[in-house]
Amino acid sequence: MTHSSSLLHQEDPNAIAKRLMQKAHTRDGLPEIAVGITFLVLAGLCWLQEIFKHGTNGYQAASLGMVLLFPALAFGTQWAIKHVRRRFLIKKVGYVEAKPVNRKQRGIVFVIAAAVAAAVTIATYIFIRGSHSSTAFSATGWLLAGTGIIGGAGAAFLGRLPRYVVGGVIMAATGIYLAFSGVSLNAGFAILYGLIGLLSLISGCVVLLLLVRQPAQEGE
Amino acid sequence: MSAKIQQLAEIDRVIHEPARLMIVALLAAVVEADFQYLRNATGLTQGNLSTHLSRLEEAGYIAIEKSFRGKYPLTICRLTERGIEVLDNYRKVIKAALR
Repeated sequence: MTHSSSLLHQEDPNAIAKRLMQKAHTRDGLPEIAVGITFLVLAGLCWLQEIFKHGTNGYQAASLGMVLLFPALAFGTQWAIKHVRRRFLIKKVGYVEAKPVNRKQRGIVFVIAAAVAAAVTIATYIFIRGSHSSTAFSATGWLLAGTGIIGGAGAAFLGRLPRYVVGGVIMAATGIYLAFSGVSLNAGFAILYGLIGLLSLISGCVVLLLLVRQPAQEGE
Repeated sequence: MSAKIQQLAEIDRVIHEPARLMIVALLAAVVEADFQYLRNATGLTQGNLSTHLSRLEEAGYIAIEKSFRGKYPLTICRLTERGIEVLDNYRKVIKAALR
């Protein structure tokens, strides 16, 4: 046990629970595998948008895929992780039944999703405006660097584990590098998401493999 | 201020113990969890966790139920109404004292 009792008593029990559940949640690498698959699919769709010309069927299909991808994966991966844990990893990770999400939490998620959608819309508007002027390069650069930095900071802050912090730093650095490389927006996103997806997938698989290879603990 | 500090003397010692505080805090955040999950999340040894769970069950703060999921035996723990009440009270006392 790594907790100092004096520190533990200064912490709210809710915060203690969140910290411990976060630790347990990331123990098997499944969330990272899910994130990795999501990012790789997203990278593939960005790459399709790069290959197909704007207005073609292929481009529209890729755009539609992006719109449908996030809600589908947001719900789908949570269900899949729970199913895999209960079906194959229950001996290693144990059983837990989470509390149903209440209205307040749903509201918070909705507000965050709306804020992200607004930010993406504004960023896209700035990019489209910029693409008609001489500042097109800087608009693309801002989007790539901003995505890398915000995404990297989010990963480091939410993950709170060294491997998430490393992943966050790599994402931010890649975003900044791509911003200065002169690459197109879709190709830049494809490279950024592809790299993060691959790193996340590899990291998750390594963690899962180590857990599976661990000798089984004795029952209570 | 002194009244708040004096309240600390009335604190529930069963919950105040760090390992038991972790267990109760965890169980308050979920519907139910099994022994293995609690062991992974808290980092306690099997014997230690077993002892603390028994102590909490004796106090009536948690309910323990043995069941199966397929062929896998589960020792499922959940917080009782009494446990929720005691944890809420503990939270209030600690918050007031640390303020």
